[in-house]
Amino acid sequence: MNRQLATALFGAPMVVLLAPAAPAVAADYLTVGQAQQAIFPEARAFEPVTLQLDERQRRALSAAAGPQPPHGQLRAWRVQGATGPLGFFFTDEVVGRQDFIDYALGINADGTLRAPEILSYRESHGGEIRNAAWRRQFARRADGTRLRNAIDIRNIAGATLSCEHLTAGVRYLALLWQLALQPPGASTP
Amino acid sequence: MKPRILLILLAGSLPARCLAAAPEVEPALSWWGYGELTYDRPTDHPEEARFDLARFVIGAGYRFDEHTRLQSELEVEHAVSSSSDPGEVEIEQAYIEHDLRDDTFLRAGLFLIPSGLLNENHEPTRFHGVFRNFVETAIIPSTWREGGIGVQHSTANGLKLQAGLTTGFDLSKWDAASSEGSDSPLGSIHQELAQARAVDFSAHLAVNYTGTPGLKVGASLFTGGAGQGQAGFSGAKVSLWEGHLRWEVGDVELSALYARGRISGTAPINLRLLGSATLIPQSFYGAYLEAAWRGLAQRDLPLTPFMRYERFNTAASYADLGPGLTPAAHPERRALTVGLDWLWTRGVIVKADYVDFTDSGGGDRLALGLGYEF
Repeated sequence: MNRQLATALFGAPMVVLLAPAAPAVAADYLTVGQAQQAIFPEARAFEPVTLQLDERQRRALSAAAGPQPPHGQLRAWRVQGATGPLGFFFTDEVVGRQDFIDYALGINADGTLRAPEILSYRESHGGEIRNAAWRRQFARRADGTRLRNAIDIRNIAGATLSCEHLTAGVRYLALLWQLALQPPGASTP
Repeated sequence: MKPRILLILLAGSLPARCLAAAPEVEPALSWWGYGELTYDRPTDHPEEARFDLARFVIGAGYRFDEHTRLQSELEVEHAVSSSSDPGEVEIEQAYIEHDLRDDTFLRAGLFLIPSGLLNENHEPTRFHGVFRNFVETAIIPSTWREGGIGVQHSTANGLKLQAGLTTGFDLSKWDAASSEGSDSPLGSIHQELAQARAVDFSAHLAVNYTGTPGLKVGASLFTGGAGQGQAGFSGAKVSLWEGHLRWEVGDVELSALYARGRISGTAPINLRLLGSATLIPQSFYGAYLEAAWRGLAQRDLPLTPFMRYERFNTAASYADLGPGLTPAAHPERRALTVGLDWLWTRGVIVKADYVDFTDSGGGDRLALGLGYEF
């Protein structure tokens, strides 16, 4: 390999490495607090929610959620706005290929989704799901309980397992909302 | 790693600072794997039909801390490896990866070269057809890995840059008496970090864009010396570049790839090999177009029919050896593959396809496959 070629090949990446970190919040790891502000910027308060599913609800959730990757720790908050409840905020962990992807999701009071945020991504391949354009596919969707990767949500080649498992996680959270958190009398989206 | 399923959400009495803290990350061991069984029946030579446990791979990962991890894969090809069996036992990947920043990491060890659509994503559930396509086996020698260091940087808008300095090819391994070099020029001289000669190193650079959902477009270049300090091979060099595209448009998934390689400094080597069966080509190339239809999957039928057209030549030209001595370029091969993938369940796929070589070189075959990934 001659010197000019080496310079050409390694010069560009080194410039990238030395450049300041990209300011885009969505591509960086977020704390829970940052994700709450990113997903519900208009919120006034996030109230932790305690939820106990009964056996019937667990069975219904398991049957309707479809194939699921292993989940990790799941948390939920009720989101209060200036004039009333805005919806719910969740953090969840799903296995990508072999390690957890930590993500956050917002579900509006009417059951429609807000775009998820990626809190942590720990694997070699598949980190492309942090792309804002991919995550925006979930926003305002009312069919969260039925979402399928590569059909309803466009896949990212090279990040298939991450796309598939995060989509499955969103489907799980949407069903959880529908079974246990949906306001009484609200119509199912 | 011990996946934890918590159906009971955390108690509301937890202090706010605890709820806002970043998730705890502990050192973790994880396992994964994939495998594929294949049956193929050549149309012209049914007596050569084969049923093969083509690959059995176990992967292990270990997270030393939140920013440092090991990735490794152990592969057995063709079920049994011994002096009288066709199998091989290989380390397919073994590298340490360390985050330099949230969007950039460094990799050191034996890792896959970012070339084409398939090399880094070669699990059977991720490509159409029983066997990997011809271009990404004959021209890009997947599963292609080298030892060295690499860096990967991703941007928020979907751009991924990968670069590295690694071991390269060893042209002194060329076996002119065998047809292996005709099947895959680079596949016959790769080193796979098995006491790899490391006099000449190689460099690679890959750029991919996935910022538009459903679209992946990218290109890569790999280049480096291949003489490895061996007498009679000085000046030999290998370069391979490619460009690729995958685009999901409605129910249709389209893929396209073009790859071209060059081995320079071969004239004096080939002069010594004159009269042998397989001389070293100067250039080789391949391209394919593939279309898969997901319309049935849209209707919850997990069937995906696909069609792929490939043109490739593993010896498109030879270095000039003088009148009457320079070998003639090989004829281009053209293959049309039609098939069906059936996603049996998540992570398990059944495949069937038929390959029709539309040139006159023969090789048509029917194939069935079973693959899995977990």
